[in-house]
Parts: sequence; structure tokens; C-alpha cells
Amino acid sequence: MNMVILLPIGVPILVGMMLWMSSFAEHFRKEKKKKAPGNRIALYAVSILLLTACAAAAVVLSWTGDRQLTLTELVDGIPLYFYIDDLGKLFVTVVSVIWVLTSVYCYSYLKEEGADKRFLGCFLALYGVLVGLCFAGNLVTMYLFYELMTLVSTPLVMHNRSREAILAGLKYLFFSLCGAYAGLFGIFVLNRYCDTLVFLPGGSLSPEMAVSYAGILQAAVFVMLIGFGAKAGMLPLHAWLPTAHPVAPSPASAVLSGVIVKFGVFAMIRVVCYVVGTELIRGTWVQTVWMVLSLCTVFMGSMLAFREPVFKKRLAYSTVSQLSYIVFGLSLLNPAALTGALLHVVGHAVIKCGLFLTAGVFLSKYGCTKVSELSGIGKKQPKVLWCYTVFALGLIGMPFTAGFVSKWNLAVGSLTSKTGVFAVLGPIVLLISALLTAGYLLPVTMHGFFPGESETAGRQGNPEKERTDWWMLLPLLVLAVLTVLLGTFPGKLVSYFEELSGLLIG
Amino acid sequence: MSEKWMLLTILLPILAGTLVPLLPWKKRRDYLIFIELAAVATSVLVFALLLNHPSGALTVFRFTGNLSITLKLDGPGGFYAALVAGLWPFACLYSFEYMKHEQNERSFFLFYLITYGVTLGVAMAENILTLYFFFEMLSLITLPLVLHTRTREAVLASRTYLYYMLGGAAFAFIGVIYLLTYGETSSFRAGGVLKLSSLGEKADMMLVVFVLCFLGFAVKTAVFPFSRWLPKAGVAPTPVTALLHAVAVVNTGAFAAMRMTYYSFGVENLRGTWAQYVLMGLIIFTIVYGCSRALKETHVKRRLAWSTVSNLSYILFGIVLMTPLGLTAGLAHMLFHSVMKITAFFCAGAVLTKTGKAYVHELDGLARKMPFTFTAYLVSGLALMGVPGLCGFVSKWYLAKAAIVSEDLPALIGVAALLVSALLTAIYMMSVVVRAFCPGKDFDESAIAGASDPGPAMLIPLGFFVVLMFVFGLCSGPVISYLTRICAAIV
Amino acid sequence: MDFVQNFPFISILLSLFSGPLTSILNGKWAKRVNTLVITVIGFLSGAVLFYVLGTGEAFVYRMGHFPAPWGNEIRVGVLEGFMALFFCAVMLLCMLGGSAEREREIEDSKQNLYYIMVNLLLCSLLALIYTNDLFTAYVFVEINTISACGLIMIKQNGRTIEAAVRYMIMSLLGSGLLLLGICFLYDLTGHLLMSNIKEAVAELAATGQYHVPLFLSLGLISVGLAIKSALYPFHAWLPDAYGYSTVSSAAILSSLVSKGYIFLLVKIFYRVIGFSVVCDSKVINVLFVFGVIGMIMGSVSAIKEGEIRRMIAFSSVAQIGYIYMGFGLGTEEGIVASVYHILSHCATKSLLFVAASGLTDASGGSRKFPDLTGAGYRNKLAGVAFTVGSLSMVGFPMFSGFISKLLFAQAAMEHDRKMMITLVALAISTVLNAIYFMKTVIRIYTPAAKGYAHPDSRRIPLGEQPDKNLALVFFILLNVMLGLNSEPIVELIRKGLGMFS
Repeated sequence: MNMVILLPIGVPILVGMMLWMSSFAEHFRKEKKKKAPGNRIALYAVSILLLTACAAAAVVLSWTGDRQLTLTELVDGIPLYFYIDDLGKLFVTVVSVIWVLTSVYCYSYLKEEGADKRFLGCFLALYGVLVGLCFAGNLVTMYLFYELMTLVSTPLVMHNRSREAILAGLKYLFFSLCGAYAGLFGIFVLNRYCDTLVFLPGGSLSPEMAVSYAGILQAAVFVMLIGFGAKAGMLPLHAWLPTAHPVAPSPASAVLSGVIVKFGVFAMIRVVCYVVGTELIRGTWVQTVWMVLSLCTVFMGSMLAFREPVFKKRLAYSTVSQLSYIVFGLSLLNPAALTGALLHVVGHAVIKCGLFLTAGVFLSKYGCTKVSELSGIGKKQPKVLWCYTVFALGLIGMPFTAGFVSKWNLAVGSLTSKTGVFAVLGPIVLLISALLTAGYLLPVTMHGFFPGESETAGRQGNPEKERTDWWMLLPLLVLAVLTVLLGTFPGKLVSYFEELSGLLIG
Repeated sequence: MSEKWMLLTILLPILAGTLVPLLPWKKRRDYLIFIELAAVATSVLVFALLLNHPSGALTVFRFTGNLSITLKLDGPGGFYAALVAGLWPFACLYSFEYMKHEQNERSFFLFYLITYGVTLGVAMAENILTLYFFFEMLSLITLPLVLHTRTREAVLASRTYLYYMLGGAAFAFIGVIYLLTYGETSSFRAGGVLKLSSLGEKADMMLVVFVLCFLGFAVKTAVFPFSRWLPKAGVAPTPVTALLHAVAVVNTGAFAAMRMTYYSFGVENLRGTWAQYVLMGLIIFTIVYGCSRALKETHVKRRLAWSTVSNLSYILFGIVLMTPLGLTAGLAHMLFHSVMKITAFFCAGAVLTKTGKAYVHELDGLARKMPFTFTAYLVSGLALMGVPGLCGFVSKWYLAKAAIVSEDLPALIGVAALLVSALLTAIYMMSVVVRAFCPGKDFDESAIAGASDPGPAMLIPLGFFVVLMFVFGLCSGPVISYLTRICAAIV
Repeated sequence: MDFVQNFPFISILLSLFSGPLTSILNGKWAKRVNTLVITVIGFLSGAVLFYVLGTGEAFVYRMGHFPAPWGNEIRVGVLEGFMALFFCAVMLLCMLGGSAEREREIEDSKQNLYYIMVNLLLCSLLALIYTNDLFTAYVFVEINTISACGLIMIKQNGRTIEAAVRYMIMSLLGSGLLLLGICFLYDLTGHLLMSNIKEAVAELAATGQYHVPLFLSLGLISVGLAIKSALYPFHAWLPDAYGYSTVSSAAILSSLVSKGYIFLLVKIFYRVIGFSVVCDSKVINVLFVFGVIGMIMGSVSAIKEGEIRRMIAFSSVAQIGYIYMGFGLGTEEGIVASVYHILSHCATKSLLFVAASGLTDASGGSRKFPDLTGAGYRNKLAGVAFTVGSLSMVGFPMFSGFISKLLFAQAAMEHDRKMMITLVALAISTVLNAIYFMKTVIRIYTPAAKGYAHPDSRRIPLGEQPDKNLALVFFILLNVMLGLNSEPIVELIRKGLGMFS
């Protein structure tokens, strides 16, 4: 009966691949038929329904009961093994919500880009892969889906097929694989010294092993952290992020930035808390370097975002910075900080997805890429800009938004952790970064509503385009509401995470 | 099944090959069927032999007292024979369509079939001299295949090919002689034939001889600094590059090196010596070097050839780890790499016959017209990169495991080299895929107007290999346990 | 005394007197007589060989039944008989293979002169093989030199005359040194018969008397014969002599004449000085060093060469280097390997010369490599034969060269210091051999591009040169036989060397 786990993984992947292959079939037809708009709606309706069904299935499966599934042996007696645990549940829920919302948004966004089938195919398949990643029950299975995630998301980055996009895609591929292979190196080493590669809360490394092979194990864990950090945009492998996000279609960058980068963090948590255990690295050079790297990334990301004139690139740098909040929270190895980090995973996913989707609206309707072109946009699209403002405040960490709760917990965790100078340095850096965040996000709102003399966004676009587009607006509204809800009623979530953190970091 | 069948298995393709240019065939189809039947029959014989596993040895010819041509089918030999036998009929099938466009088809098949027999001879060699004999034969028999197109480029390539091959054999010969003189027997014996204690003063020399001999055989495996011949030999028709220069010939080098290490010199005498580290250093360097050269290369077949250089050193890396696990991993990679690389080459060949395009930058957008070919290429690229679920990951895993278990610093560096090479592999394989699938916005469709997927003779082998990559990747258990059993008996 | 014991003497006389006989015959008959003589001598040698094998010991034949020191002796063992047989066979095949060229390249009036020279050459070779007397050996060395000169010169163009003069000068230098050495030995021991000298030398070596003059004479003899057989630094005469003379001359010179001297040296080592004495001297180290250098340098020169005949000639320098390297190892095994290599090189080098002439015939007579492109298709048998010869030279299993390489390497294994040098030299030399021989093989099997072939190149059908093709087939068989069936021959050499002492 547990085969049902395969449903939300397999169905989207299969359907996605079929869609993708069928996009080739079009090249075989001699004359290209203009597709009727009805076809397009049908395509999207079916896809969205399918996705929703799968998402519902995934969420329901993960919140009802303990499920596991062992399939064929991959290597070395390590099977393809799925097990739905607390962390997986959390991530699968986030993924599902974001995915369904974004897929709705795609309908009107892709009207401009074209090649719906290709995009949707990858999009669906990627969903399946991510669910698989969340459900993976051991390191090798996780690595399998981690690699697949990279491979399947690359076509999304390259979607518009400009030279720039293809190069960005290759860069993305290169960095991700770099990280994945570094992770693989660690897996090789852990396979030798750990009793099992199955995820167990608190880790499966025996203390004797941890003591006698501390050197190589710490080195391996460090390599893994750097490697998986590539996906999470952590220094030194962060460079792909600001290149890949802006060229990808906005829905793609929304999910990349909102969800996929989080899986770098996900993998880190899996390694540190579920395989080797936090004791191995607590107080060692690994933890120190890790904290330094994440703090540097936080600061550097914000600074770069602050200086960046291109809107989507600015958001991308912002992602670099925000992701390292999470990584920092993780690196403190402290339950409160971990709670904050997990909260930020949720909060940032919602907020950053929303931000990129708004950027997409501006881009597709007015062709605005630079921040300076956005002044006066509020007159044209007030609803969208209001949503944007909510997201911006959330990211800065205003009370009653999702960002506040997570940052608060992070700061508390940092101050209570016994990490010496970092306990204080951390919150300071976070605060500075929050100020910078305000500095780079809020001007858009201000100039958008109060353009002053120079009203550049008033270029007369196609009036039909400028009409309120509910396909786009609806997801934005939902995300904005979620931002506020998460910030206003965080209680249940916080307690759930505290419990989880307590379990992971004893 | 009596031992005589082994000789028959070797002679069958050789005789059949000789008949191809001699008999007066009426139609092209007739001799193609004949060739395919011969190849299939040989493979069937090989598998039948494997199932019955004759335990004795068959002396075919005796030069002098202890020098003889003797055949025997043991664990690794049987494995290698099975590997070759599994691929040859498919490669033949593929070449039917490929060779349609080339000249002198019958002389091509003559040598193609003979090579099959000779490769089986390598697999079944029972003693050092037999191995050396078939090893040399293989160099010579494959020469006309490299020379096949008779262009100036082919002539130059075949010269290089031969110099490297014969030169390698000349150095391997030193080891052969050493073993014949000081070995307790000239046959292969698990654990080696040399007793350090009885060697006396000659023991110091042993390591030097071993290094020379290993490298001599490894010239066929294109280890640095002897790797230049392999990309050059890419001028040969694709069935040759695919089957011989990615599988049969090059693996023969690795196989012979394995025989030397495990069956002749003996791991006990070698493990932990400078010889092991020198070889390991060279091999690790080759792993990275091959990949980086592949990255620089813009000719698709040559790029794949450089990739082969790197991957062959994976096999050698497993071998020089000198542990059962390492050998298992090396042999597993021999099998898996064969399947992956032959697929990649077949794709390149299909593109070459269908469009005449040979360079990476010419492949833009071709996947739109040849989706099956490029999907196969994609799968093989992913497998080479080591994506789990495909066969490349399995061998990489075991190689890394063996290296880490050995707890040697050089071995750990080797693991790092594996991963660096995987990354480079990703770049050079995926850049082709990306070009083919994503040609860019302003792509001119007319450039690929005439292209189409090849016919069934090419697609069937491709499809089969793609399936095989998944099967090996998802159910590697039986293969690995088979190899583990073999290797545990050796070391 | 059995009648068979007369055979060696009869064969020397037969060849000696058939020389004058052919001078009064015309070319065609001279050829027939010559062929007949070689064949008959071959059979006689075969009979001698079987006789010696049957009795199991060497016999001494005193000419005119005078005892030493006045009489002259012939001594025949297994090795002598076998060498005589083998030399006759190879000579016959060389003559057969080069007959067409001879008729074309040599003036009609001089045709019979050629056969005189060949008969004399055979006579001197047989005498070198059989004689038990140092001075007789010297006399026949000179006869050998003169007849060889005639063979080179007889194709009268500028280069052969120059080559002959060079050959003459170098050869006479060598003979002079040899004579000096013999004189010294005579002075030291008072004997000229080999067995007598050996006894005396053994006594001298045991007492340590006359140490320096003894080794000086050994050195002089070795160097003298080394010059005559073209050991590396003394090879300057060789490429022209082999490269420009008519084919049968080149084949005979390279495969027989130089080998005669080498065989004489082996005999001197074993029968005159005593092998253990030789091994203790430093002379063999010198031979070893020059042998190794020759192996490498000969091949390097061959690689640089631009035409096929000279390339094969240079290859001879390398092969002679192998043989001296075998001597230089100073072991019984080394000598066995060297003697085997004499046979193998005999069979291979003459094959290569004859095959090369077949290829040049198909390429308008040009010997330059570019013109030879595709010659293997134009003259199929010559192409195959050349390939076989090349593979044998490279040491490919199944052919004779492999066995000699094997024997050399095995011999080297016995040695402590020289082992690695020998093995690596063998390997490098194999690579170098592969470079120039296989390059040529690939060249002759590359179809000539349109418009680039030599204007006179033509296709030679199998039936056009029956003599040459027959010779080639036999040469190939000989090669394969030596390669596959080496064990009895090696046994025979061992037995023969055992009979020497």
C-alpha cells in the first residue's frame, strides 16, 4: 500500500516527460499550426488540476501516518528508499503550495514566452523530483533526486533560449554539479564510517567512530556543507544565483529562488542532523568556518543587492543574503536558532516567490527590467505593488509578517548559543542586513507610488495587457495573505518547529 | 562442454571473417546476414561456454617447453569474454547501416570479425605468452580498421596508433620475459607467480619491471603520457571507434594490466610499494587530464575519445588499488563504461552518417530532428557523469568506496579526481546536449532540414544500450555480486 | 672413416672449381651451373648434418692425412653442418629472387663473372664455417672480401663503384687487424690450428703469463671482424654497398657475408680462445656497448632514410648490433641467442631485400617512399612478403624475430648488471623498428592519390616474376618455420656449441 508514495513523485515526472517529448513532435510537423487559445487553456487546466491533485496527495500522504517504501537496490546494498519524516513533511508542503500557485501564474506569463509544453513539462517533472527529494529516506536516494533536481531545473533557466540564458543555464549546471559532486565525495566518506546512510534524527554515526576518525569525517562534512551550500547560494559557490535568476522566466526564478535553493539547506540539515549528528562538528573549525561563511554571505548579498540596478538581479542577491540567514541559523547548532532557520525557510519561500512573481508582472507587461524604470508603476498596477510592499516588509522583518517571526527566533537562538563572539556578531550582521534590505526593496514602492517628476513607467503599453490579469494577481494575493497570516498566527508552526529542533539537536 | 570449444569460439569469427571478402556474394544483404549470424553464433558459443565453464586448459600450440599458446576460461576472463560477446552483435548490426556510406565494406568486416576472435583470445589466455600473443595480434588486426578510409589523416593516425601499440608491447615484453624467467609457472595464477624470497637480488628489479610492464600494457588503455593515439584513431569509421577504441582494444590493455598485477606479479609483492604509488599518480593524473582535453576538443568523436582516456583510467585506478573491492569496481567500470561509451559513439556516428556533421558547434538544434539519437546521447552523458540510477554511478560508487576503505592518501586524492572528472564530464557532455536541444533563439531551421533519426539497424542497438544503462544502474546487485565473487577468489 | 666425412671438403672444392668452370660458359649456363652447385652443396651439407647428428660428436678431417702442425684440418660439428645447409638454402633463394634484376642490371658480357664471384663467395663461406685452422680462415676471409667487392661493383654505376671502394678499404682494414691478431696468437702459442691454440691459451690464462698480449690479440681479432661485419661505428661502408648493388648481391651480402665473419668470431671465441677466457676479458663489455649503441643508432639512421633499400641496409646495422649485444652478455645463453639471430636475420633481411625489389619494380623502379605509395596493391605477393619481414623485424609473435628477441631477453635475465640495459635497449629498438618498418608497410598499403603516383608505376600480376615469387614464398615459409618451430633449432644450436669445445 505504501507504493502510493510513488504517486506524487512518478505521475508528475512521467506526465512532464511526455509533455516535453510532445514538444518535439511539433518540430516534425511540416507546417506549424497556430494553436487555438482554447487548446492552451485546456492544457493549463489539465496541468494545474493534475498538479493540484498530486500536491494534495503529497501533502495528505505526508501528514497522515508514517509511510515508508523500499525499492530496488541502487548500490552497495543501499536501496532506493523513501521515508516521510517531519522535515520532509514540512518541505513537501511548502513546495506544493508554491508550485500550485506558480503554475496558475504561468498561464498568462508564458503567453509572451511561448513554448508552453516545454516549460510545463519541466515544471511538472521538477515538482515530482522535489517531492522525491523530500521523501528520500537515505543519503543516496537524496543524492539521486538532488542531481535530478539540478538537471530538470536547468531547462527552466534556459527557457527563453537566448544566448545569455543558455550560458546562464550552463553556469547554473556547472555550479550545481560542482556542489553535488562535493556532496558526493562526502557521501563516499560517510558510507565508510557511518553505520547506515538512512536518515535518523540525531545521526547514526557512532561516537567511537566520530572520535577515532574525527579528522577525515570533519573534512568530509565540511566539503559537503560547501557543496550543498552551492545550491543555497552560500559563499564561495554562490555566483550562479545572480546570473541564473534574472534570465529565467519569472515563474521559474520564483520557484528557483523560493524553493529550489532551500533544498541546499535541506541537504545540509539532512547531513548534519540526520546522518553525522551535530556533536561531530560542534565547537570545531568546521562550525566556525561555516558561521563565518554564512555571515559573510548575508552581508555581502545585501550589499550587492543594494547596489544592483537590475530588479530581478537585485532580488537574486537578496536571495543569496536571505538564504544565508537560514544557513547561519543552522550553523549555530542550537534548537532556537534552528527553529528560526526553519521558520525562515517557510517565510522566505513565500515572500521571495511573491517578489519574483511581481517582478514578472512588471517585466511581462511593461518590459521593465531596471529598478529605475519602475517609478510610477503603482499608478498602473496598484494591486500588484501593494502585494509587493507586503512582501518587502515581510523580508525586512516587520512585525505581523512572516519574516519577523523567523528573524526573531534566529536572533534569540544566536544570543543563547554558546558560540562566543558569533553569538553577538550574528544578530548585528542580521540587523545591518535587514536595514540594507529595507534600503533596496522599499524604494521601489516609494517611487512606484510617488514617481515625482520622472514618470518613466508611463510608456504606453498595450491597454489590453495592462488590464488586471487575475491569473497573475490571484497567486500574488494568496502569497501576500500567507505572508501576513504566517506572521500573525505563527504559534502552531513555531511549536511544531521547536519540537522538531529539540529532536534534532538534543 | 569440452575445452575444444574455446578454440572453436576464437576461430569461428576469424574464419567467418576471412570468408567475407573471399566468397562471391550476390547481394549486399547476403553477406550482412552472414556476418550477423557469425557474430551471434560466436556470442552464443561464448555464453554457452560460460554456463558450462570448462575447467581445464587447452594447449593449442607449443613453442618450447614452457612457452605455449594455451586457452582457459577463468573468472575475469569469462567476464571479459561475456562483455565483448554481449556488445559485438549489436555493434555489427549498427555498422551495417553505418558502412553503407563507406568504401571497401567487405574488407572492413573481414577485420572487424577477426578482431572479435582475437579479443576473445585475450580473454581466454591462460598464460603470459598467450596473452602477449593475442595482445600483439590485436594491434595488428585493428590497424587496417584505423587505416580504413585511407585518407592522409587516417594514414597519420594509423602510424601513431601502431607506434604506440607496438612500443607498449615492447615494454610489456620486458615484464613477460621477467615472469617467464623467474615465475614459478608461466600460467596465470591468482595471487601471482613470483615468490619474493626466492628472487634474491632480482627482487629490487621487480618493481621497475612491473612498472614498465604495466605501463606497456596500459598504452592500449591510453594512460598518460601514452594517450595521444586514442583521439587520433578517431578517424576510423565509428563502429571501430565505438567498439574497439572504447571497448575491445582499450579494455584489453586494462585486462592485461589486471592479469599482470593480480595473476603474475602478485598484489602481495606490490601493495604499498613505490610502484603502486607511481602508477596511481599517473592514473589519477590521466583521469583529470583526459577530461580536460575532452573539454578543449571540438570534434565530437575526438572529444569522446578523450573522455574514454579518462574513463579507462578509472578502470586502472580500481586495478591499482590492489584490493578485491578495487578490482571489483574496476571490472564493473569496464562493463559499464563500455555500454555508456559505445552509446555515445554510436550517437556521434549516427549524426555523422545522417548529416556529415562532426564538430560540436555544428550540432545546434539537431535534437529537433534526431530526438531519439540525442536522447540516447543524453542518457549516456548522464550515466558518464554518474547520475544515480544509471550505471556510471554504480561503478563510481564502488571505486570511491574501495579507495576510501583503503585509507590511503593517494587513493583519497583519486576520489577527488573522480569527482573533478565527473564535473568536467558534465560540462563536455552536457554542452553538446544543450546545443542540440537548445539551439538559441535566432536559430535557422533550414540548417537541419535534411536530418532525421537513423534507421532501425542503428536505433535498435542504441535503444538496447540505453535500456541496459538503466537496468545496470537500477539493479546492479547481481553484476556486482558476480564480480565480487570472482575478485574474492583472486586476491 | 665414413665417406660422408669427405663431404665438407668436397663441397669447398666443388664451389672453388666451379668458379673457373663458369668463366668459360655463357651467362645462361653459368647460372644453371651455379644453381646446381649450390643445390648440390646444400644436399651435401644436409647429409653432413644428419651424419653428425647421428654420431653425436664432431669429427676432424685432415687434408691429405698430414697431422698438425703441417697439415690443414676441417672440423665439422652439428652447428657447422647446419650453418652450411642454411647458408646454401638462403643463397639459393637470394639468387632465385634476384635473377630478373641481375639479367637487367648487369651487362651481358659480365653475367658469368657474377656467378664466378658467387661460387667463390660460397667457397669462402664454407671454408670459414668448416676450417679448423686460423690461417686458412684468414685466407678465405680475404677471398670472401674480394668476391664480395665484385658482387657490389658488378652493377656498374658510379655509386656502386664508390661503395665497393669504401667496402674494400674498410674490409682490408678489418682483415689487417685480424691478421695482426692471428700473428700475435701465433707468436704467443706457436700454433695455427685452433685446437692447439686453445690448449696453449688455456695454459697461458691459467698461469697469467702474457696477459696483455693475449687480450690485445683477442681485441684485434674482435675489432677486425667487427669492422668486416659492420658493427656500429664501422658501418659507414654498408648503406651504399647494400643500397645500390643489385638485389641478389645486397641480399647475399647482408644475410651471408657479414654472418660468415660473425660465425668465425663465435668459432674463435669457443675454439681458439676458450669461452671462459673471453668472458673474463673486458672485450665483451666493449662489444656489448657497441652492440647496444648500434641497435639504437642503426634504427635511428634507418628512420631518417628516404629510400627503401638504404633503410633496410641501415636496419642491418641495428640487427648486427643485436648479435654483438648477445656476445657481450658473456653467457652461453647470449651466444645461443646471437646464433639464432644470425639465422633469423639471414632469413628476414634477404626476404626484405627481395620483397623491396618487387615493390620498386611496381613503382617504376623508384625507391623513394612517396613513389612506393600503394605498391602493396600493385605487387601483392611482394607486399605481403614485405609485411611479414617487417613484422619479423619488429618481433611480432609467430615470426622468427620474436623468437630471437625472446632468446635475447631471456639471456639478459641471467645477468645482473646488464639485464635492465639490455631489456630497455631491446624495447626501444623494437619501437624504433616499428617506426620505420611499419611506416613503410602503411605506406605501401595506402592507395596512391590520383596524379601523384610514379609515371612508370604499374601493376605486376602474380605470374610475371615467377622466380622472385617462388623465392618470396620460400622465404616467408622459412620465417614462419623459424618463428613457430624454434625449439629443435635452439636445441641444435646448443648441441653445436657444446661440440665446439
